[in-house]
Amino acid sequence: MPAILLTPAGLVIVALTLVPIGFLVFTSFTDYDKRTLFTGVYNFVGFQQYTAVLSSAAFWEALVRTVLFTAAMVAGSVVIGMGVSQLMLRTGVIVRYLVTIVLIVAWAMPNVATSKVWVWLFQPGYGVIPWLITQLHVFGNVTQKDFTNSFWGALVIIWLLVVWQAVPFIALTLFAAQTQIDQSLIEAARIDGASEWRVYFNITLPFLRPTLGLMTILSIIWDFNVINQIILVAGVQVLKPIATLGVWSYLTAFVNSDVGSGAAIAVITTILLLGITSIYIRNLLKSGEEF
Amino acid sequence: MATTVRRRRRVNWGSNIVAIVFALVWIFPVYWMLNTAFKPRDEVMSETPKFWPSHLDAANFVAALAQSTFLRNLQNSLIVVLGAVLIAIVLGMFASAALTRFRFRGRKLILVVILAVQMLPATALLIPQFLVFNRLNLTGTYIGLILAYVASVLPFSVWVVRGFFLAIPVELEEAAAIDGAGSWRILFSVLFPLVTPGIIASSIFAFISAWNDYLTAYVFMSDSSMYTLPLWLTSFATPNGSTDYGAQMAASVVFSLPVVVFFLIIQRNLVSGISAGAVKG
Repeated sequence: MPAILLTPAGLVIVALTLVPIGFLVFTSFTDYDKRTLFTGVYNFVGFQQYTAVLSSAAFWEALVRTVLFTAAMVAGSVVIGMGVSQLMLRTGVIVRYLVTIVLIVAWAMPNVATSKVWVWLFQPGYGVIPWLITQLHVFGNVTQKDFTNSFWGALVIIWLLVVWQAVPFIALTLFAAQTQIDQSLIEAARIDGASEWRVYFNITLPFLRPTLGLMTILSIIWDFNVINQIILVAGVQVLKPIATLGVWSYLTAFVNSDVGSGAAIAVITTILLLGITSIYIRNLLKSGEEF
Repeated sequence: MATTVRRRRRVNWGSNIVAIVFALVWIFPVYWMLNTAFKPRDEVMSETPKFWPSHLDAANFVAALAQSTFLRNLQNSLIVVLGAVLIAIVLGMFASAALTRFRFRGRKLILVVILAVQMLPATALLIPQFLVFNRLNLTGTYIGLILAYVASVLPFSVWVVRGFFLAIPVELEEAAAIDGAGSWRILFSVLFPLVTPGIIASSIFAFISAWNDYLTAYVFMSDSSMYTLPLWLTSFATPNGSTDYGAQMAASVVFSLPVVVFFLIIQRNLVSGISAGAVKG
């Protein structure tokens, strides 16, 4: 009976996910390109795509960029998330409810919509954020600056956008975890004269460590895979210079139609990500949950 | 009583003010979307931004919904999203029943594969799916996009429903067996009704995930009459080539509204549900 129940889903996962992954690996050993899409003709080229990718400066730049950008996004969302969850413990009920609603709305917004909202916020000439920055009279008049078409401008906007959407999940999860801490422990520490920072580092943080670990691993996986926000926000002039590995393999395979090379980049990206994914899965297996 | 006193002592005005400032900053992009969407069309592009519309105006919504292919794109979205959710949920229900109520060899491996495929980079699946579907003439069709969405939402549907199956005590099954019910009878009359909340929850998450997809639809659908709503959302150009931001923000409001409303309705269960299933973000 389990076989009958599992077969349909199993067949679908095998046919639509596992077989394509196999085909991806196969494609990465061929010279599949634009011509192949029409004629179906391709040649087996061995490791040629891989040697070409691995020996190109563009690959190593994209790799370093992806790692740094992921680290910046994860650090930003985890640190702000920790701060917000602490803040929520110290506010009145009504303010906490307000913060919760705001977090949920930011979390729920589809990223296609938020990407377009962010482009509009930073629009040269009419965007509200450049206008507000200009009112500070510190950076001069930036209302005409094309932020999404400048390297650092686009990076900062995409970082803000991803962090803005990632903070709610982390903050709300940590807040839920923090309410599980035995309050008498914290009271006892306070009576013994421990400062709020001391309480946080010696009681709260050790208690949150497993949750924090899980949040960090999931954030790394998600942020490493960010594509939509990058291709929807970055202007055409900077899309290539700021492309992460995911965006680069997308551009190579679908915009340049150099499918074999794009497949090789995707395989390398998957292998890099597999390391962190296996830590996550091992954690889940060890967490005592019935498997 | 003691707890309320203790709680009250720790609440201070400094925290409340910082929290309110945080909330205002965090909601600002959403506010700006709404503010832009409800402005009269001639107030959208002003060099000094207007923080409040002079009057509420539906003209941007008219431009976004009535003067575009909205209905056509909505129909496309509903066909592919509902099709994919229906297939994924039915398959996921059966699979998670098998993975929780039975012990068999390879069960653990299947669970690990289900978790692992959720973490794949988007292009790792998109490239080969595009090649295979292109070969089979499935790109540019509803079926092709439905199958791609089934592939992306089935693993987490199995995982979420599985959590609900695990919560059902074995005694219940044993009681039904003693009363003479067979395995299939137990499945359909005892277990499936009990996991209905899980099926609803995972259907809605599957719906949202497919509803929000941009990249797969963009790669698969070359004909604009087959575009889904996320593609429609990115396509508000004025005749001179710039973007019609008023209409685009109105479109963003319409597109986001169902998802935001749903998140607000289930907010209480959001955190436990998501972290238990580690659903794609």
